Amino acid sequence: MTRKAISRRGILRATTGALAAPYVIPALAADTLVVNGYGAEFQEFMMRTTIEPFEKKFGVKVTYDNTGMASQNYAKIRASRGAPGFDVAAELTPAEVILGQKEKLLEEITEAQVPNLKYVWAKSRTIIPPYGVVHGYQYLSLLWNKNRLERPESWANYWQPGAAYGDKIKGHLVAFEPANLLAVYALIMAAKLKGGGVENMQPAWDLLAAQKPWIGMSLLASDAAAPYFENDQVWLAPFWSARAGYYVGRNYPVAFTIPKEGTIGLANCACVPIGAANKKLAFEFINFRLEPDIQRAFHQAYRTSPGRPDLGDWPPEYAATQITTEAKLASVEFPDSAFIGSKRSEWTRKWQEVMSG
Amino acid sequence: MTAGRRLTPYLLIAIPATFLLAFFVIPSVVLLSMSVVETEDTIPTGNLTLDNYGLLLSTRLYLNAIKRSFIVGVASGAIVVLLAYPLAYFLVRTTSRWKNLLIALSLAPLLASVIVRTYGWWVVLNREGAINVALRSLGIIDQPLVMLPSTLAIIIGLAHALLPYGVLTIMASLNGLNPSLERAAMSLGAGRLRTFLAVTLPLSAPGIAGGFLLTFAIAMSAYATPAILGGPATEVMATMIRRFMLELLEWSLGSAMGAILLASCMALLLLTSALGNRRSAS
Repeated sequence: MTRKAISRRGILRATTGALAAPYVIPALAADTLVVNGYGAEFQEFMMRTTIEPFEKKFGVKVTYDNTGMASQNYAKIRASRGAPGFDVAAELTPAEVILGQKEKLLEEITEAQVPNLKYVWAKSRTIIPPYGVVHGYQYLSLLWNKNRLERPESWANYWQPGAAYGDKIKGHLVAFEPANLLAVYALIMAAKLKGGGVENMQPAWDLLAAQKPWIGMSLLASDAAAPYFENDQVWLAPFWSARAGYYVGRNYPVAFTIPKEGTIGLANCACVPIGAANKKLAFEFINFRLEPDIQRAFHQAYRTSPGRPDLGDWPPEYAATQITTEAKLASVEFPDSAFIGSKRSEWTRKWQEVMSG
Repeated sequence: MTAGRRLTPYLLIAIPATFLLAFFVIPSVVLLSMSVVETEDTIPTGNLTLDNYGLLLSTRLYLNAIKRSFIVGVASGAIVVLLAYPLAYFLVRTTSRWKNLLIALSLAPLLASVIVRTYGWWVVLNREGAINVALRSLGIIDQPLVMLPSTLAIIIGLAHALLPYGVLTIMASLNGLNPSLERAAMSLGAGRLRTFLAVTLPLSAPGIAGGFLLTFAIAMSAYATPAILGGPATEVMATMIRRFMLELLEWSLGSAMGAILLASCMALLLLTSALGNRRSAS
């Protein structure tokens, strides 16, 4: 049996290698891009419609990081002082873009870096500061089980379920936690039902307190509700239009609608952290995502609305449920994200107090 | 004695000490310093304040989460000790040739992820779960029992997940017990129960205390089980910390809650250590 001794030279070589690693890795990173986005079906569509064509066109390798919700991914950016390990934060919400600007953790994005920026909706430039790009939209809808309930005409169907559907719906309602923006938007719609709004949320808390006994489960992420809708356990919930459309397409026993009081839109934003290893390719990726063919392929697949208004000829069944014209965009409300951001902790605390009271 | 030999103990201590410094002391200092930083719209301003602690200790919601963490820790620790002791006793005393296999089986739950085990409880306890389905099919109930989310479900899930730790700790204590002491008690006329209560139980008390302490500390700071089996009405400190840090980006409040959790566990450790010293002295 031979015995292999650990030589001084071996140790020296290993140490040198370890010390050199941080300098070697960025060198390798020149043709590698790390993109952070959602998982589940979103990832599947993102890979097929956007990332694979991008890799083919630019001859690069994209690593897809599917961890975290928008706030969690911003927490990574903050914790790493702008170098979270991904080059593109592909799915932030306006609240994080505003924070990123204030904390100087996101790169400013101009038409020089992202030429397709000139084609985005004019509204997009008012929703977020120029530290991100709105590449698509979705909106808050009501998702319901078609086999169990009649179509909800009003947000009151969700907030006062007993009056709308009687005892049968008890325990079949989903409440989302305010860490998910869709819960915040649903609460704003509740406040509006009773004459309030973002400046006066008391009506929303009153409705939440009354609704509590009807809630079957409270969840954080919207995809967590999918199996319960599929197996008939939950029947009514506020839901993002994109995911709702996906479940309809998958023949779940559900449908989604915009109640008569209207709805609130969500701008999906892409940003580049200041410490991104491959900024040039990151801007190239954001620009590529706004290309007409990529926009068409992704948004039709994921059932979100496009990030630019100049793409006509949408299939009628797609256009019927999406924001494809200026008129439709104008009909959707976009509350002040900076104000919502400043109130979110207080509202979350209030929500927790009501739910645990 | 050569210089190299004199240095060896220090070098041996230096490795774990460096590890502790890097992965416990420094993060704890960062946590404590962040907990006294003021924030404005979630962004740290750099000004020092104790308001974060003030808010946590004066708001019913957060106080309830702190209290619930203690309740979960104490209840899980007590259940684990009660269940682990007879099992550990049996495993130590059995002369079966299957002894090693039985020990391995009793510790086998450690091989499965705590997430998997906790979801097992979720499947059993949820509204459409095994218990409700069984009770409804037997005609015992009309409406499903609401067992989730609840503090009791969290305690059950944690007690199940942490049982092997209790078994291991108590087994170690029972293994170190000199059997001749029990034989001596019995030869002097004590029955089995009396021997157990007067000799075995007191001598294995350090194992019981260790098992309780270990499970208490893990249960009190557990995140996954309360997150799966709990809900908004059953928040504990760990789930609150996550909410502050990752969802609300309120790092100062999250750090203050983390500091309270750390201080609570340390206080219990010190208390137990002090009680142990007193017992040794007496």
